[in-house]
Amino acid sequence: MNNALAKPTPIITKPMIALFVMLGTFPLWGEAVGLYHYLGVEIVIWIIYALGFNLLLGYTGLPSFGHGAYFGVGAYAYGLVQLGLIESVWAGVLVAVIAGAVAAGIVACFLSHRRGIYYALMTIAFGQVFWFIAMKWHTVTGGEDGLLNIYRGTLSFGVFDVSLRDNVPLFYFVFAVLIIVVICLWRLVHSPFGKALQAIRMNEMRAGFVGYNVWLIKWTVFMLSGAIAGLAGGLFAITQESAYPDVMGLHASGYIVMLTLIGGGFVSFWGPVIGAIVFFVARDLLGSITETWLLWYGLMFMAVILFKPEGIAGIWQDLSKKLSRNQKQNAPVVSQHVKAGE
Amino acid sequence: MDIILNLLPHIINGLALGLLFALIALGFMLIVGVMELINLAHGSLFALGAYIAMTLIDPNIAGWGSFGVWYMELSLTLRYVIGLALAPAFVAIVGMGLEICMRRTYGKKAEYGLLLTFGAALVIEESIRIIWGSSEQFLPVPEMVSGAFIAGGMIYSNYRFFAAGFGIFMIALVWLFLEKTPYGSIIKAGAHDSEMVRALGVNLTVLRLMVFGLGASLSAVAGVILTPIWGLRPHVGVDVVIPAFLIIVLGGIGSFWGAVVAGILVGLVVGIFGAYASEWSLMSMYILLIIVITFRTRGLFGKKSALEN
Repeated sequence: MNNALAKPTPIITKPMIALFVMLGTFPLWGEAVGLYHYLGVEIVIWIIYALGFNLLLGYTGLPSFGHGAYFGVGAYAYGLVQLGLIESVWAGVLVAVIAGAVAAGIVACFLSHRRGIYYALMTIAFGQVFWFIAMKWHTVTGGEDGLLNIYRGTLSFGVFDVSLRDNVPLFYFVFAVLIIVVICLWRLVHSPFGKALQAIRMNEMRAGFVGYNVWLIKWTVFMLSGAIAGLAGGLFAITQESAYPDVMGLHASGYIVMLTLIGGGFVSFWGPVIGAIVFFVARDLLGSITETWLLWYGLMFMAVILFKPEGIAGIWQDLSKKLSRNQKQNAPVVSQHVKAGE
Repeated sequence: MDIILNLLPHIINGLALGLLFALIALGFMLIVGVMELINLAHGSLFALGAYIAMTLIDPNIAGWGSFGVWYMELSLTLRYVIGLALAPAFVAIVGMGLEICMRRTYGKKAEYGLLLTFGAALVIEESIRIIWGSSEQFLPVPEMVSGAFIAGGMIYSNYRFFAAGFGIFMIALVWLFLEKTPYGSIIKAGAHDSEMVRALGVNLTVLRLMVFGLGASLSAVAGVILTPIWGLRPHVGVDVVIPAFLIIVLGGIGSFWGAVVAGILVGLVVGIFGAYASEWSLMSMYILLIIVITFRTRGLFGKKSALEN
């Protein structure tokens, strides 16, 4: 996040290639190390979700505690299109993105004047409103059970079709979406708009004095983040073959905050990626040992907040900094230890 | 006139509910007022208090020997009073432990405290699951306040009125403590300008520890009083912390009467809404909040707070 302004940022970077290679080959080695294909699909979807969320939390410094709402809206939108309109995966995903964007866009009109804790509170309130609607509007959402029997369907490319019934083709579909999302977001955060987001995080009032339309930027970033959450939700509905209100509750909304922070969303673009992988692998590994894995995960989260709010990415950055310092032994110590998270 | 008569039971229920909401919000208000910290673990402390009280009132006496036999021979009312008195004390200790962890986040952004207490809420909830199990349990109440009576063709539960009365009692108690004792003056001064209070020689570290302990024990009291109505499950905390949060913001952060008025207002809105669309009644409070905050940023009686930055 602290790249110098003067140097143009490449569109494809080394960590990006590393991530794509690692995830792209997952179906080949995943089962060998004791994981399973379905987990890969879930992780990729949550990486998309978390990357979009971090646009808000890490880059703009706006804590949203009700982000599950837009994820859920996307899932329901996908399900409603599939069950009621047409059986096209493309159309469903497109509608999911639009639905997420519209829901977040409306909410952002109320939010964008707010700051700090009031912002957080309003996101909780709106998240609860969406959750209530999902729970109670039985005729449309199916109530507590949600929408069931959403078919995984087939991807139609015109000349050939791909069935998403198996987890491996589904994995490559969500993986392809991830590649697009990563490249677009990477480009976005290194654009002037991305710099404006970071200016708002550092000091909203000064960003306004410089001449940025703070309200509009905050509105746009929330809407974008909601659209990506909607996209992830739509993909989640394909994967789960259903859409249900659980993902919209306060707990689920809290998990996305937790995993983004543990990964290090405050200091690195890749924080949410690390966080999502750690969250799901921890869920499976700890979950196989103890039923109360959330207790340990919660304790880990508390420790991160207390001792290292920069998260895993922050630890990584410290280590690599120490390494490069050791290499040039007699060089003067770098004093500009930029604190980005605050 | 007819409408008013038809609505009367709902208004009475709403008022009672509002007093309960105000009771929940009391401990939350104390902590947010003095420490400018949103304590998301409030609901979990509420649940923890209720579970501890349940264990004290109706313990599994196997292995306790003669003490257990003697204890179970005490009347239910007496054991209930013991639970109501001791559970908040235990929870106060847990709260103080949390405050000691919290010290590292002071001086940072308010979100850190919020996130830390969210983690703590998760940890407490999972601990409850380990100790007491996940299934719904029941907190016994003395016969004196159980049962129901009929008035005007409607059935009212005795316990609800006892709980509402207890709510009034606790509100009065906290108000007397804050307004009429020197400790209350120090707490209020700490909320107003903590640096000046420190300069006057008050040990701020101890003050914060005590306030957090007091706030935690108030949430436990609310838990003991309320769970016979709402049921006792590990995740009851979530159902509680959000209304508490909402009431404080609605009333205005740092305003005692704001919290009480907002609690009663929310209870009334939920009660009256429930008369027309009972399924949706709990959603009405969020809509109320969104409307109020859209037009009055600082809530009904709020003053400027450091949490806005």
